[in-house]
Amino acid sequence: AGGASLRLCSTRVAQEGINKPVIDRIIRVDHAGEYGANRIYAGQMAVLGRSSVGPVIQQMWNQEKDHLKKFNELMVAYRVRPTVLLPFWNVAGFVLGAGSALLGRKGAMACTVAVEESISEHYNNQIRTLIEEDPEKYKELLQVIKQFRDDEQEHHDIGLEHDAEATPAYSVLKTAIQLGCKAAIFLSERI
Amino acid sequence: VRCQHYPPLRALQASAALRRASDEHKKEPLTSSSQQHFDPPPAGHQPEQEPQGPRPSYTGQGGQESEDYESEEQLQHRILTAALEFVPEHGWTAEAIAEGAKTLGLSVAAAGMFHSDGSELILHFLSECNAKLSELLEKEQKLVQLGEAEKKPIDEFLRHAVEARLRMLIPYIEKWPQALSVLLLPRNIPSSLNLLTSMIDDIWHYAGDQSTDFNWYTRRAVLTGIYNTTELVMMQDSSPDFEDTWRFLENRVADAMTMSNTASQVQSTGEAVVQGLMGAAVTVSSAETSRAVR
Repeated sequence: AGGASLRLCSTRVAQEGINKPVIDRIIRVDHAGEYGANRIYAGQMAVLGRSSVGPVIQQMWNQEKDHLKKFNELMVAYRVRPTVLLPFWNVAGFVLGAGSALLGRKGAMACTVAVEESISEHYNNQIRTLIEEDPEKYKELLQVIKQFRDDEQEHHDIGLEHDAEATPAYSVLKTAIQLGCKAAIFLSERI
Repeated sequence: VRCQHYPPLRALQASAALRRASDEHKKEPLTSSSQQHFDPPPAGHQPEQEPQGPRPSYTGQGGQESEDYESEEQLQHRILTAALEFVPEHGWTAEAIAEGAKTLGLSVAAAGMFHSDGSELILHFLSECNAKLSELLEKEQKLVQLGEAEKKPIDEFLRHAVEARLRMLIPYIEKWPQALSVLLLPRNIPSSLNLLTSMIDDIWHYAGDQSTDFNWYTRRAVLTGIYNTTELVMMQDSSPDFEDTWRFLENRVADAMTMSNTASQVQSTGEAVVQGLMGAAVTVSSAETSRAVR
């Protein structure tokens, strides 16, 4: 075939014939998301670690740590560039976690509910994209994302169980946080 | 091999004209290009007016059809590869491309397919060098995996990779400064930057870099700096076999290693200091509390 198209080739077997731009974006933004989630829980633990809700947050945090580990591996395997904004998400995530925890444990749970809802929706979108592309080729990645989506959904439910909705100004807080998440996702996909 | 090809972006009419001429070797085709550095075609020749589709099929004038359909991109690739041989003599110019085309049995007008400043030739050369480097590093990695070779420490690996890549410039070293200035033209910057970053990324990948944090950027920035400065030193080096350049490279890589060691030392010292302060604060506050209780 002729034409002025760019031809990309790679020696890694894993990368033959995959839609590199799409996979790049997916892994980059998911990695950033798990990194941010880690920092949010770290912030919450810094404030509420010794309270009665500490163990619950710690357990959710441990799961996020596993998620991040997995995405670190995928990032290396697919040779994906991490987002430049990582240092920023480092600070912003911690501030969000600590800030919401300072509103009390209900505030922390509200933050968890908001973030986990955004992330679940985001993972669902990615699952749809990958299934549209080629479910067979991306089977492993799909499995990982589905598993993580279920985990995040579980966190969301735990947040609700712990009276997240009883937070003062719950809907305002939730909307604000979810807007922030949307912006973070948009930016991390691209830069 | 992770490689990128940069096909030239000229009008298809010129290449279609080229195909007709190459089949015959008799006529000099008229091209649509206005910048020519060689003899104009003989007078009385009909200009090519036939409408061209996006993929002109290669049919010879005598009604023969070629057996392998060669895409335009592949043809341009062949011409540019052949042209490299003439770069030491003619520089990165249309003349070199014209000579290259001649060795393939094509008309010198083939050079009309490309920009007259030799951009495509230089980018093609860069992309070929990068592909060769990737191949070399991949082969060496396989040897290490099979246990037939020792895994190099990072600084040695980086030196080896950068030296191997820079040595590919040696046959063209006289004309390379010209190439560097062409690569800095605004038109070429996206492509040349792209080629540079993918080469640096390749080197780090084979060096075993698995960073997934900001280090990913720091390492690549540092190596890019090392590569670019060493390349510039090489342009001005007249020592036997460029030994001054390789010594410069060794020093820069050593500097980078020192810098990263220092950075991690500073970090651990900082953490120790913070811990010490926290401990002191706890001690003081519990001393205060116990004094207040008394």
